[in-house]
Amino acid sequence: MKLPRNALLLMLGTAWTLLAADGQQAPISLEAAREQGRLKSRFLKATKDVAKSTDVIPKANVAFFAGSVGPILKKSCLACHGPEKSKGRLRIDQLNPDLLSGPDVERWREIFAALSKSEMPPEDEPNYALADADRARIVDWLTEELNAASLVRRNSKGHSSFRRLTNYEYNYALQDLLGLPFPPPNQLPPETASEDGFKNSSELLQMSAMQFDTYREMGLKALRRATVIGERPQAVTYVISMQDEMDKALSGKETKASEKATRKSKNAGTKQLLLHRETGESIQYSAGKAMPRTEAVAGPTPAVSPVVLVLPRSGELKLDLDRFLPDEGTMRVRIRAGRSSMTPDEHASLRLMFSAHTSNNANFSQVVSEHDIAVTVPAEHPQFIQFDIPLSDIQRNPFRKLNTTFPRRDEFLHIQNVSNASGGEEPLRVLIDYIEISAPFYEQWPPKSHTDIFIESKNKSDEQTYGREVLAHFLRRAWRRPLAAQEVNEFMTLFANYRPGFPTFEEAMVEVLAIALATPEFLYLTQRVTGNETKSPAKISELELASRLALFLWSSIPDDELLKLAEHGKFREPSVLTAQVKRMLADPRSRRFSQNFVEQWLGLDRMDSVTHVTDSALRGAMQEEPIAFFGEVLRHNHSIMDFIHSDYAVVNERLAAHYQIPKVFGPDFRKVAITPQSNRGGLLTCAAVMTMNSDGKDSHPLKRGIWMLKRILDDPPPPPPPNVPQVDLTNPEILKMTLKERIADHRNKPACNSCHSRIDPWGIAFENYDALGAFRTSIKNKPVDATSELFNRQTLAGIDGLKQYLLTDRQDQFARAMVHKLTAYALGRPLSFADSADIDSLTTQFRRRDDRLGDLIHLIVTSNIFNSK
Amino acid sequence: MNDKSLIMSRRMFLRGTGLALALPWLETFAASSRGKDETPRRFLSVYHPDGVGLPLKSDPAWKDWSWFPRGNEKDFELTKVLEVLETLRSEVTIYSGLSHPAARNVHGHSNADQYLTGAPIGGQGPYKNTISVDQVIAEHAGEFTRHASLVMSTNGGVGGPRGAQTQSFNREGRPVPAMNKPKQIFDLLFVTSGKDAAARLARSKSALDFLIANTRSLERQLSNHDQQTLSQYLDAVRDTELKLEKAQKWINTPIPQVDTRNLHLDAEPKEARLYFQTMYELVYLAFLSDSTRVATFQLGRENGEGPHDLLSLAVGLGGAHGLTHAVKNPGGWQNLGTYNRYQAEEFGRFVQKLKDTPEPNGRGNMLDNTFAMHGSASSSFHLSRNYPIISAGGKNLGFTNGRYLKFGKGNEDNQAGAGIASDAGWTSKMEVEELPLSKLFVTVLQRLGVETDSFGGESGTLTKV
Repeated sequence: MKLPRNALLLMLGTAWTLLAADGQQAPISLEAAREQGRLKSRFLKATKDVAKSTDVIPKANVAFFAGSVGPILKKSCLACHGPEKSKGRLRIDQLNPDLLSGPDVERWREIFAALSKSEMPPEDEPNYALADADRARIVDWLTEELNAASLVRRNSKGHSSFRRLTNYEYNYALQDLLGLPFPPPNQLPPETASEDGFKNSSELLQMSAMQFDTYREMGLKALRRATVIGERPQAVTYVISMQDEMDKALSGKETKASEKATRKSKNAGTKQLLLHRETGESIQYSAGKAMPRTEAVAGPTPAVSPVVLVLPRSGELKLDLDRFLPDEGTMRVRIRAGRSSMTPDEHASLRLMFSAHTSNNANFSQVVSEHDIAVTVPAEHPQFIQFDIPLSDIQRNPFRKLNTTFPRRDEFLHIQNVSNASGGEEPLRVLIDYIEISAPFYEQWPPKSHTDIFIESKNKSDEQTYGREVLAHFLRRAWRRPLAAQEVNEFMTLFANYRPGFPTFEEAMVEVLAIALATPEFLYLTQRVTGNETKSPAKISELELASRLALFLWSSIPDDELLKLAEHGKFREPSVLTAQVKRMLADPRSRRFSQNFVEQWLGLDRMDSVTHVTDSALRGAMQEEPIAFFGEVLRHNHSIMDFIHSDYAVVNERLAAHYQIPKVFGPDFRKVAITPQSNRGGLLTCAAVMTMNSDGKDSHPLKRGIWMLKRILDDPPPPPPPNVPQVDLTNPEILKMTLKERIADHRNKPACNSCHSRIDPWGIAFENYDALGAFRTSIKNKPVDATSELFNRQTLAGIDGLKQYLLTDRQDQFARAMVHKLTAYALGRPLSFADSADIDSLTTQFRRRDDRLGDLIHLIVTSNIFNSK
Repeated sequence: MNDKSLIMSRRMFLRGTGLALALPWLETFAASSRGKDETPRRFLSVYHPDGVGLPLKSDPAWKDWSWFPRGNEKDFELTKVLEVLETLRSEVTIYSGLSHPAARNVHGHSNADQYLTGAPIGGQGPYKNTISVDQVIAEHAGEFTRHASLVMSTNGGVGGPRGAQTQSFNREGRPVPAMNKPKQIFDLLFVTSGKDAAARLARSKSALDFLIANTRSLERQLSNHDQQTLSQYLDAVRDTELKLEKAQKWINTPIPQVDTRNLHLDAEPKEARLYFQTMYELVYLAFLSDSTRVATFQLGRENGEGPHDLLSLAVGLGGAHGLTHAVKNPGGWQNLGTYNRYQAEEFGRFVQKLKDTPEPNGRGNMLDNTFAMHGSASSSFHLSRNYPIISAGGKNLGFTNGRYLKFGKGNEDNQAGAGIASDAGWTSKMEVEELPLSKLFVTVLQRLGVETDSFGGESGTLTKV
């Protein structure tokens, strides 16, 4: 069994050396590099599935060490890591070769890393060079021993997945549980990220009295929002018909005749007008005052009118809604709109702003629509575009209820056309003939969120019986498990205590339900110890699995379908689980997974503190790109090697312009084929990554290098030592240097070299990307020098060289890093050495499935580690 | 101060304030002296909109009606505006060269919002504020008193974004509504209405008991490791219980009794003097009874209009906001200066009263344990630079008064932006150097017992203070 494997490794080692022989890579295409690199995979050569050997108690192979590994180490390593010198405080002669029970596993892991990445022995010590066969022998022995050692420790791991929900999970859970159209405003303090960058890491999710208070307050608020008391409130409705507006404007004003005459003026394409499409009659129009009408929203919608508001690019209709909007509830805005032309290169979307101007210089305005909504239909067949705005969550005019007229009480709604329409004879405009605004808007009364809590029942008149029904129904979803009668009774006792203080059953019950939302059963991801745990680590229950899975893929609690399957003990059947994962990934809620995982994995929240991106459209596009790219790879089950390099980009118009990719129109992200000349592809050169790893003015190779190692290769450099000498910027010689020279100067100091030579080269390879991630070929009129040399003498020639090296020589490392990151996120806990056998096993299966991201999700969900405590 | 003089002076202040205090209060004094509490440390900020008069040196009005003093740290000379504080000279400090960096190029009318927060709220667009310095202190000092803070303004409520009618903002940056009716403030401080509160507390208590029992039953089903994690939750619930017990204690503690015969609780802003003095009196009473240790008070709103802009009636002048626009009219500087002088006079009266009142349960007089500041986010016309700030008291907290402290560089004679009466001022590039006001707040926070070395995005203190 062993021989062919060693032979393979030997052959591979040789090929590797040939490639890197003169420190230069043969200039091969990135596609070829990807194929070559795959052939070198250690995981693909693995002949057995390591994770399955749990039942056999492994033994340390000390004999092989004594006969084979030990002598090689002595020959090549002892001079620097022995009694004479002990560099890095490592004494190879004092290490215990029994990895299973000995104390030196951590040291052996470092040795494994240094040898497998060819960092040791140093290239400039030819006397101690390690023959490839010898290197393979050590690496092979260490692989086996480390794996066995990890298995032995698996049963005694120190990390648990028992944790409270993160802020965002809590918010989604409340929203999904209560069926709220909007997430409740979150007042919780921000989370701390783990070493891996994850905010759902069990050990960092703390609880304090202040947080506890906030949970109680938010839970109650959310419940009050989901439920209603009394009769349906009369809605305030504004109806703006452009026909009426035109009639109003034309009556009583003779000056309009002259305006009629100007309708064919040159810049008609950029003017904001009321236009009669049949007569061609037009008049300028920009703001309206709308008085609420009392008729119900459901009143008949008028037929399409020939009179329309013509909204050019960046045009805005500012509606004065006076002071009649209610304090709370949803404001539904319906706008009947169409496009003036259907030119494919132009797009137009509508956006809502809300503002007030209470006195001079006391004003505010903010975008209140969550997303711009594209106008896609021709004006001949206009369609309604609909926005729902939570009135209690947006900035309102605090003076709206004054009895006096100063400060001013009005509130304004702005309807804006966000477009790329460009000049020409007939640029694209949005034509609107009818607008309807209604608040508070309810689809039905009582709303569904209410009847989902106060369910239909024949026992409604019996508070005791009905109370139990409401509680059992609500608690099953909130606690993600069915409740025992006794548990419901305890809540009923509390309810009895509360009931006299409230005028209605519902109000008292809402208070009690709010307490259920402050219990650890809601706030925490629990895993119970059961009586019959023979194996360790024991399996989690199916209900626990449903919760874990829902948090993984939806950042929220399980829905009814998941709960039902788990309650009936059918959930763990592979076909069922696989089908559910598919369903969950197809659900819009899986967008939360892409967003939260990618933001945390890549550390994208650092974009929030970047101040040098002043264009908000660009900033938004930058932040979205990695998420959209990940989503694309996930949806199409592509290989994760696409993250290193792809022949496509996922961009919208704004970002495409930044990347100089032509012919991308509109705000939506989509896959676009790119050529090598665009210098894009993959995640590494995303503008967000380059931007957040810059110093605000220029690139920052050190930050970029650390980011690469930490986020992509899961090989974080050690923190800087306490007495690290600062770069002396008062020294005129240093001040004259370019950044790259300065870094080189710092790196050449002996105290700094050992770390920086492992970090800087990675970052220098990105020098062609400026502080905003735009590609450049010169810096201050000097050609960009993006060539660097890694610690192991590997040359990285710019971004292509870096990608080529990663694809040829680091595929295994990247694949394992990806498995590690995704598993840590899925489990919500840090991984330790005890998990490494499981991660290796997953990586092997993952690589066998061509590194496909979708497959990895399925592999993780069905793995031992995901199903165990 | 020995016991005898304490009694003596307490009698004196009973007469001096024009208020008679009923006996139960004396018992409250005794009660609050128990426990871990030490001498109270208090904070007051009074804000006035529209800035102060800052004529050019070449202007004949400069000599008398320029707000800032002339001279150096110790040997400074007060102009007619602040000479009403001459008798309190050893108890006050006057500052120049301080401002919030983010406000320096924003129209002064927008900036009452950020005076105590230092937040970059900007001049238009989306609005976001941050916690104000008084509320940071209130989080700390609030645990000793019935009310964490007393937030007052002449206009009341919260105002609008960039048009605040309150000086206080909470942790989330949301405005804390201000009270403006003396009667309402008095009732809050000295009239019980604890029935609802008691019922709410009782419900909270049963909720917490329930949660503890529920958590205990979950705990039994967890591994030892996970029980450790859950213990944090239990601690949080218990801490909340302690808070409830304290709230319960306040409900059970009798409210200090105050005789209202000489208090004008119905005074309205248009009765400027009476209203103004009554509001100060309420702060004084709140401090004296240790009902709170933190108070803010905003006089009018920026760009004022209507009755709340009429405090200047106290000195026979029309709308206060208009005074700043009319400085170039005959007697304009004098009018604005006269109004500012009146504001300083009332502040001085309050300071004097604190000075004359021995600390009921501690060292020195009340002023020694109070840091009271008075200022605006504008100096010259619409210009949010070189804020005119006075502070008083705080001797026992480490403040040394009797000084005129100039910060920054290049504007030692306060002529930058002087004499302007157009918006060219606030839109202009800043030519002189000023220090962030938040650094003063860091000093204040530290001396009031809050452990921090930063506030409003600034770290470090003002060493001269």
